[in-house]
Amino acid sequence: MMGNDWITILPYLFIAGGGTLIFCAGAFCKRPPAAFLLATAILSVLCAGGSAAFLRPSDTVFMQLMDVGEFARYFTLIFSVITLITLLFSFQYARSRNFSGDEFYGLILFAALGMMLTAAAANWLIFFLGLELLSVSFYIMIAVHKSGTLSIEAALKYFIMGTAATAFLVFGIAMMYGLTGTLQMGAGLSSALYGSRETGVLAALAFILAGIGFKLSIVPFHLWTPDVYQGGPAPVIAFLASGSKVALFAVLLRMCMHLQGPLWEYSMPAIWLLAAVTMAAGTVTALSQTRVKRLLAYSSIAQIGFLFMTLPAVKEQGLPAMLYYLAAYAIMDLGVFGTLGTLSAGPEDLDDLESYRGIGYTHPYRSAILAFSLFSLAGFPPTAGFVGKFLLFRAVLQSGFVVLALIGILAAIISIYFYMRVIMVMYMRPAGTHCTVLVADITIRLAAVMVFMLILWMGIMPSTLFDYITRTVSFLPVFT
Amino acid sequence: MPQSSLLSIIIFLPLLGGLAALGVFSQPRVSRWIAAIAASGDLALVILLFFLVPGGHAAHNGGWLMAEDYPWLQSLGIRYSLGLDGISLMLILLTAFLALLCILVSWRQINTKVGSFHFFLLATQTGVLGVFLATDLFLFYLFWEVQIIPVFFLVGIWGHEKRLAATMKFILFTVSGSLLMLIALTALYVIHGTRTGIYTFSLARLASAPLTDTTGIFLFAAFMIAFAVKTPIIPLHIWLPDTHTEAPTAGSVVLAGLLLKTGVYGILRIAFPLFPTAARLSMPLLLTLGLVGLFYAAWIALSQTNIKRLIAYSSIAHMGLIIIGLAIWKAITVSGAVLQMINHGLTTSALFILVGILGERIDSRKFADLGGLWKKMPVFSAFFLFFAMASLGLPGLNNFVGEILILIGAFTVSPLVAILGFCGMVFTLVYVLRLVQDSLFGREKAAHPLYDLTIREGWVLGVLAAAVLFIGLHPGPILRLFETPLHHLLSEGGPVAVHLAQPFSGPS
Repeated sequence: MMGNDWITILPYLFIAGGGTLIFCAGAFCKRPPAAFLLATAILSVLCAGGSAAFLRPSDTVFMQLMDVGEFARYFTLIFSVITLITLLFSFQYARSRNFSGDEFYGLILFAALGMMLTAAAANWLIFFLGLELLSVSFYIMIAVHKSGTLSIEAALKYFIMGTAATAFLVFGIAMMYGLTGTLQMGAGLSSALYGSRETGVLAALAFILAGIGFKLSIVPFHLWTPDVYQGGPAPVIAFLASGSKVALFAVLLRMCMHLQGPLWEYSMPAIWLLAAVTMAAGTVTALSQTRVKRLLAYSSIAQIGFLFMTLPAVKEQGLPAMLYYLAAYAIMDLGVFGTLGTLSAGPEDLDDLESYRGIGYTHPYRSAILAFSLFSLAGFPPTAGFVGKFLLFRAVLQSGFVVLALIGILAAIISIYFYMRVIMVMYMRPAGTHCTVLVADITIRLAAVMVFMLILWMGIMPSTLFDYITRTVSFLPVFT
Repeated sequence: MPQSSLLSIIIFLPLLGGLAALGVFSQPRVSRWIAAIAASGDLALVILLFFLVPGGHAAHNGGWLMAEDYPWLQSLGIRYSLGLDGISLMLILLTAFLALLCILVSWRQINTKVGSFHFFLLATQTGVLGVFLATDLFLFYLFWEVQIIPVFFLVGIWGHEKRLAATMKFILFTVSGSLLMLIALTALYVIHGTRTGIYTFSLARLASAPLTDTTGIFLFAAFMIAFAVKTPIIPLHIWLPDTHTEAPTAGSVVLAGLLLKTGVYGILRIAFPLFPTAARLSMPLLLTLGLVGLFYAAWIALSQTNIKRLIAYSSIAHMGLIIIGLAIWKAITVSGAVLQMINHGLTTSALFILVGILGERIDSRKFADLGGLWKKMPVFSAFFLFFAMASLGLPGLNNFVGEILILIGAFTVSPLVAILGFCGMVFTLVYVLRLVQDSLFGREKAAHPLYDLTIREGWVLGVLAAAVLFIGLHPGPILRLFETPLHHLLSEGGPVAVHLAQPFSGPS
């Protein structure tokens, strides 16, 4: 049994191997050429994505620790795409700011590994390991641009807040272990083990949810988000906003799938409330922002709110919709933060809304991608965001959460204003001071084209991905 | 019904032309020509439709003159299905015609970012054509949203001084309405799916969705808000005067001639047929709003100092009359309303084009700077007078036909409404006459040397005038086109369902 198990975890091995190779290159060679590092990273991501897509694991459970079935395969695929686009977007950005060393590329890969492990965890420990791998990598990556004052501050904030969140999480996991005597997610959440100790398990779940909520920036745990997004290097934030959130949402989905009976009934109102508050606070606060990265931070809070809105419907029709929207959300946020990064050649990122005046004409191509991603976030057809939002609202209405859907649609209406405001500044105001941008080399072009094509493809031909997701979901035991 | 992709070609040809025009943005002249050729090609194809389909003799295939249907997002029951009947045929003819005129009137007016301008203009055309042809509710919504964004840019980039506020108002109003519609159509889809087991967006099937009255009223209200914003029906008209005033000429023409029509079309084709019970209940309210719109807009129009604003309010007044025609829901009034949609598209566009031409010469749209134009620009003034008369409903010109149909029909149902409606039209007379008097006659104020129409402008207005005269003198063929679809729309019992179900009787 142990023999062919290695095939099962092949994608993770590729990423870990690639990361290790990059670190080794750094150890043996004083300044390894950035192109080599990039190529190694891309190659390992492609191998990981390819093996996740084409190799069906012989056994869906790996040593009782990981569930590498269809659910994890889907997420491994998403993370591969996210990591690939992040790598392409960050190459020029890192080189121009002098942090294009082995540590940066290695950390991107290890963060990706953390995401994949988190999404595949069937055991609280693996989840915790994955999450910490992810978080520690991000603590460093946010501070990687050492001469940027804001980024050091952002990293510190993220570190302190993140550690507090981790403490909550560990405490919750310990309580779960104490109450049920197992670290298995599924077994621990089934009533057979906790028996009559429901209150205790609920408290443990609340702590775990608080920990996850921090990372997902659910209101009221969202306060770090704008500062960190504003201070961190744009491609890293692109990776953080898309990858790390998708990973934690995957865990949340897995937890909700396991929750049954009274536990699920007790959790539902909490999720309902958090969703409503997150959507409302995210959109309303974004209205008054004058800095683009902060605005996008609040927008990403609202976007996660839309996903949260669908969470109560996870047991009925919600799962395929959320899986679709997670992919769409990741690509859109990669698009906005990635292009934003390519528009900023200075030491700090292009952030002030005023500095975007007329940028649509001075740099038409990347602005078009940025605008297209913003339209997708706002939910206009023919984009991924539109189809995704439709699927979410359909699932919510199908499960009968009409009030939540109405709150959601109100939030969506309000959000139009701030997305359009950015686009107005980009296209309808006379050009302001000239801003220097990164040279669009093959990496940036490739990344931008990938983002554009993916958003368009998911908006015009959604059936390919959606049918794949429906197939994925049909394999999950919980839902058949 | 054999599948033919002609309808798709008509819808997407402008978009392709627009992309091509955008592709050569560094050469404005080439962009203009590409856009003009694409728009002319589209118009030619629409005219070709008149020869391909036997007008008025479509009863044998369920009322559709032409249809297309492909699976699109099959697992969700979403199909790419288009259908053409007499009403949509006239409306797409209007769309293709006005789009070409927009390009022609912008030939000299738009000198910056010419490639993008034509891209947005032609993308709007694609959206509007799609709205008029879609028979799948999801597809309809998609086109409905797609047409908004280009107009947002058209007004925001090429508009006048206060364009930013105006375009933001426009997009917030329209998108609020359409997101409400999105949630309502999703709810309708879910209700129909759970009750009958068939998840579909086909208008035909959804029309027979088993709804309780209360649910029906809520969903109908959501749809109506979306359509009422676009139409616009008082009190959701607030965006319109600002947006019209700030838009470039082509933008105003697109708004008045095309976008407003999609609102009325939505009421006629989507809202009423889907929710017949709720629609019947809403008739008194709609009649009231229509009448209030007629009077209120006419009253406000009187006090305007800006020509464009005055014409914008006249649009609202005209739309009030159209809503009355729809709310009476008799064959004669509805065909009058549909005809009036086309008439309004022609005359109001012509007036906006005239104001745009004037703006090119004296760079002002204020009454204070006008007056005595007749002496300096006789041909221009003649056209202006002609279209102003058409707008106030002079017999022999197009608006008269539509208005008289609506009023006669209204009289048979409710004489009071007809009398009030007639009084409202007297109001119209007052402000249109003021418009003419203050601009064409009186003391000369413009200090600039004015030159009369160029040949290009003359052609544009001449063709419009010919269309206005044709409808005014010989509306019979057009009204006959509406007969079959209206018969289906108005038939008692299973309202539109019977009609809409037929072309796609296969399993879905």
